[in-house]
This record gives sequence, structure tokens and C-alpha cells, in this order.
Amino acid sequence: MAHGIEIVEVATSAPPVVYAGPVDRVLAAVNHAVVVVSSVALVIAAAVLSYSVFARYFLHVPTDWQDELSVFLIVGAVFMSGAAVQVRRGHIGIEAVVAIMSTRVNAVRQVLVDLASFLFCAFFAWKSFTLLHEALVEGYHSTTTWEAPLWIPYSLMAVGMSLLSIQILAQVTAALVGRRARP
Amino acid sequence: MSVLSIGLLYGGATLLVMFSGMPIAFALGAVATLFMIAFMPAASVDTIAQNVYEEMASITLLSIPLFILKGAAIGRSRAGQDLYGTLHAWMHRIPGGLGIANVFACALFAAMAGSSPATCSAIGSAGIPEMRKRGYSGGFAAGIIAAGGTLGILLPPSITMILYAVAAEQSLGRLFLAAIGPAFLLVAMFAAYAAWQFLREHRRARALHERTGAFSELLRPDELTLRDKFALLPRVLPFVILLTGVMIALYGGYATPSETAGLGAVLALLLIASIYSVWTPRELEPILTATLRESTMLMFIIGMSLLYSYVMSYLHISQSAAQWIVSLELSRWVLLATILLLVVVLGFFLPPVSIILMTAPIILPPLKAAGFDLIWFGVIMTIVMEMGLIHPPVGLNLFVIKNIAPDIPLADVIWGVVPFVALMIVAVVVLSLVPDISTWLPHKVMDTGVDWMQVVRVTGYGCALILAAGFLIRFAVKRSAPAR
Repeated sequence: MAHGIEIVEVATSAPPVVYAGPVDRVLAAVNHAVVVVSSVALVIAAAVLSYSVFARYFLHVPTDWQDELSVFLIVGAVFMSGAAVQVRRGHIGIEAVVAIMSTRVNAVRQVLVDLASFLFCAFFAWKSFTLLHEALVEGYHSTTTWEAPLWIPYSLMAVGMSLLSIQILAQVTAALVGRRARP
Repeated sequence: MSVLSIGLLYGGATLLVMFSGMPIAFALGAVATLFMIAFMPAASVDTIAQNVYEEMASITLLSIPLFILKGAAIGRSRAGQDLYGTLHAWMHRIPGGLGIANVFACALFAAMAGSSPATCSAIGSAGIPEMRKRGYSGGFAAGIIAAGGTLGILLPPSITMILYAVAAEQSLGRLFLAAIGPAFLLVAMFAAYAAWQFLREHRRARALHERTGAFSELLRPDELTLRDKFALLPRVLPFVILLTGVMIALYGGYATPSETAGLGAVLALLLIASIYSVWTPRELEPILTATLRESTMLMFIIGMSLLYSYVMSYLHISQSAAQWIVSLELSRWVLLATILLLVVVLGFFLPPVSIILMTAPIILPPLKAAGFDLIWFGVIMTIVMEMGLIHPPVGLNLFVIKNIAPDIPLADVIWGVVPFVALMIVAVVVLSLVPDISTWLPHKVMDTGVDWMQVVRVTGYGCALILAAGFLIRFAVKRSAPAR
């Protein structure tokens, strides 16, 4: 589907980061757990949607919660694994300029780009937390018949974006103190 | 500040940040956020997270990871090789049958897996060595696979089309149907070219043989027995049935597109478990992890692209740009050509997902005003973006081929692909002249209702026709077969 999408295959061939510090090790463990749980969430979402077809046509039960539950599962899986993808620099960017830069300039560019990414993700995480707070206080519900509480997906989004911010920050610090793994 | 200067600033900032190598998702999000802070009321900046969530929390968009899961499950099993082997056994008597079998295998596999590079590597890893063993030139073999792989984003379910349906606010089912006619057209053109090119290479080899006595594998007739024809069938048929079953569930109105995605993923996992006994957590882990990584990367880009176009439309940039294009009063075809050229150029830098979401609010209103059918345009735009997969500078499929067959020089691969790019351009022109190829099927199915008996009848006639043609070709080839 490329959709140009699978550029990820090329991008993820970047060398894996060597985990040196305790922060990195904790992050790696958290990311691993998140990936496992998120993978299972995806499969559950697929099963829930399949069940929805089955329920409607064979059991003649109205299907009101399946779509919403799948949305929560998939949105949660996506936001939570943002950090795990960032570890291997799996969020693709345009590499055209990178190729013509010297290694030194490129290292500086990488730090600046990471800092900018961090600022954006941290800002987004902060706004997600205020949204989560609002949803908890005001008791936001979805507008569907299922009336699911919205703090569930909001909290996954907030935690996921925070994890991602921490991950980028860890990569920046690693680069700055020269602990970055050499390819 | 006027809308024009804000718009130029917005575009300029985007270019700058994108080319700094910042991940596309964060780049789009950061530019959008900065402009929100600078030009929009503070209250709207506060709702940025809610905004992204609400845009993303659509089950149509979120069916994308499930389609990827289905593709990864099928793509990482041996299904590709088996499918290719079977088609080869059944088609080897047609001139260029091996090449045609590769085109068909790519098309079928792409429809099941929905991924271009996955199709290239699954069919190509078996197909390219086989074609070269049989004397096909490296460039020709690579061209067939690279071009065949692109069918992945045209055949439903394609992620590009899901996004187009969302961005253009068109019916996804209708769009999927509209792509089927053009997909058949492309498959037929690719197959015809494969046969023609085979005959050319064959003639050249025979002339050389007669002149110098040099023997080429192209001249050796294929010998495959009836057993070969049936050996792999039990493994291939379930996948084909899965494919058609899921389609029927979708178009028969039994399932929504997102339910189809879930069903497809579950069935694909069950099939690879039962046929290739891939079921232990250790074997499933790479499939699931790859799916999750790709989906996450993609959904981040999608979410941030949506935020980006929201800001663009809030600041009236997209509307003004669209109005400006309309006010140019270009003739219909100049407008279409210009827009397609823009898509091609953007394709040099951006993945199709961001092209669609970022440009839709600007290019679709003028197209609509010029009287183009937006469903039809979705198909055209998809074919044009497909071409971007096989021509430089991005040409993702070329790199996949380079990976499978490192000994074919890149120049040969590119030259082998050129005729297929030309064929795709011809297809775009044909579809512009005869839009019915694309719009007839959705109109027939969605507007007049489907008479399933008629579908069965037409399918029956089609099969009979193909069989008859097959026998005729076989008969003709036998009579004109070169002496051994």
C-alpha cells in the first residue's frame, strides 16, 4: 500500500539504539510491554468487528457498541505505540536534504529537529492532559447510544503522547552527552 | 495579515520544516500548532488535542490498521509463492505465459494483501528468479513485478482510497467499485505488453540461435504436468475464496467497510494458521509488530494531516486557493492536467496519504466546479500516485526489487519499468476519454441494486469465454510451435 507508506521498511532499517542508561532501559521495557498490549488490542478490535457482522446477521442483535469499542482499541494502540516507533526512528521524514549534508552538520540538524519534535509532542501531551481533566470533571460521554466515557481514549492519548515526548527527549540527551549508539 | 500572505507563509513554513528532515507527522502538527497560536483565538489552541482525536476517531479511518494486519498476515506467509506457482502452471502455454502469470499473481495478491511493496517482494522473490531462469531479460522481469505491485493501491481494499473517500467525503464502497474497472484495464494492458515483449525477446533469441547457434532458455518449451496444475490449488483456493467472500460481504451489504477490514484480518490470521500453521505467539509476533509500527506511523501522519488541513481551512487558505484556481477559468482538461502534474511533483517528496489529505480541500472544489465526477477523479489520482511508486526519485517498488534481485543493475530495472509507466499514462488518458470504465460498475451496483443471479450468470459467461479463449490460444500456439 504504498501508498508510499511502506517507506517505513526502509526507515526502520536504522541501527537499533544501544540501551545504556537506566532511563533508556526503563523506556525500552515500557515500550516493549506497550507493543505487546497494543498488538493484542488490534487483534481484539478485528475480532470485535467480525463479531458485529455475526451478531447482526445470525443473532439479530442490534450492534451499537462494536464500532466505538474498536475505535477506542485502535486509537489507544496507535497513540500508545508512538514512542516505540520513535525508538527506531520509524516516523518517516523527507530525507532528501540529509543525503547532501556532512556528518557533523547532520548531527546538529538531527538534534534541532528532535528538539522541535519534542516541543510539539510535549505541547500536544499537555493539551491532551487538560482535555482528559475536563472529560473527567465534566463527565464527557460519546454521542452514540453506547455513551462510552471519553476519558478512556483521552487518557490513552495523553499517556501515549507523554511517552513519545519522553522518548524523544531521551534521544536528544543521548545525542548531546555523546552516548548515542554509533551505527 | 491578508489571507494570501498567511497562505504563502503557511506553505513556506511547511516546506522549510519538511525539508529539515523532521518526521512528516510532527512537522505538519508543529506548523499547524504554530499558526494556531499566531493567528487563531486562544480557545481553539486549547482544543487541539480534542480536534485531532475527533478527526481520527472515525471507524472508517481506523479500519486502516486492520487492512494492514490482513496484508501483513498474508504477505508474510508462503501464500505469494504458492499463488504464483499455481498461476504459472495453468498459464505456461500462452506465449509469455510466465510473465502474464506474474502480472495476474501480482494483481490477485495485491487485492488480498493491499500493499504494493509487499506484493513486489512476495511475488517477485519467486517470480523474478524463475523468469530470468527462463531467459527473460532482467529489466523485463523487474518491470513486470514493479508494475504489477502498484496494482495494490488501486485494487480494493486500498488505504489510499479510504483516505480519499474520507477527504473528499465520498462513499467508500462506491470508490472501491469504481476502481475495479480501471484495475482490470491495467491488468489487461500489462498482460498484453508482457506477451508482446516476450514475443519480441523470443524472436530475437531465435534469430540469434539461427545465426550463431547460441542457445537461449527462452527457446526451451515449458513442460509442466497436470499434477503441477493441481498440486498447489488446495492451498491457493482458500485465499481466493477469502478475497471474494470479503468482497461479497461488503457489496452485498452484509458488512460495512470497517467490518470488512476486521473480518478480513481475522480470516487471514485463521487461514495462515490452518494452511501454513503460523499460529504460535513467536511466529505471530513479527506480523503483529510490523502491523503496529506501520499503522502507528501512518495514523500519526493522518491525524496531523487532518489537523493541518483544519487549520488551513479555518484560516480560509484552502478556500481562497480553491477560488483562485476556479477564477483562472482554465479549460477542463488543462485544469485536470495541471492538478495531476501537481500530484506527480508532490509525489516526489510526500507519501500519498499526506498528498491526499493536504491537497483535497484545495483541488477538489475546482474539479467539482469543472464538472468532474469526484469518484472518478479518486481513481485517476490513485493511478497517478501509483506511478510515483515505480519512477524515480522515490520509486519505492524499485528499491524492493533491488533488494530481491541485487544483481540486476538499477538502470536495467528503471528501463524495464518505463514501458509500464507509459501504459499507465495511456490508461489515465483512456479513462479520461471513457469515464464509464470506472463509473459504470458503481452506478450499476449502488444505484440500480444488484441482481445476484445476474452476477452469477455474467461470471459464468466470463469464465466460459476465458476458457474458450485459452483453448484457442493453446491450439494456435501448438500449430505454430517452433521446432525443438
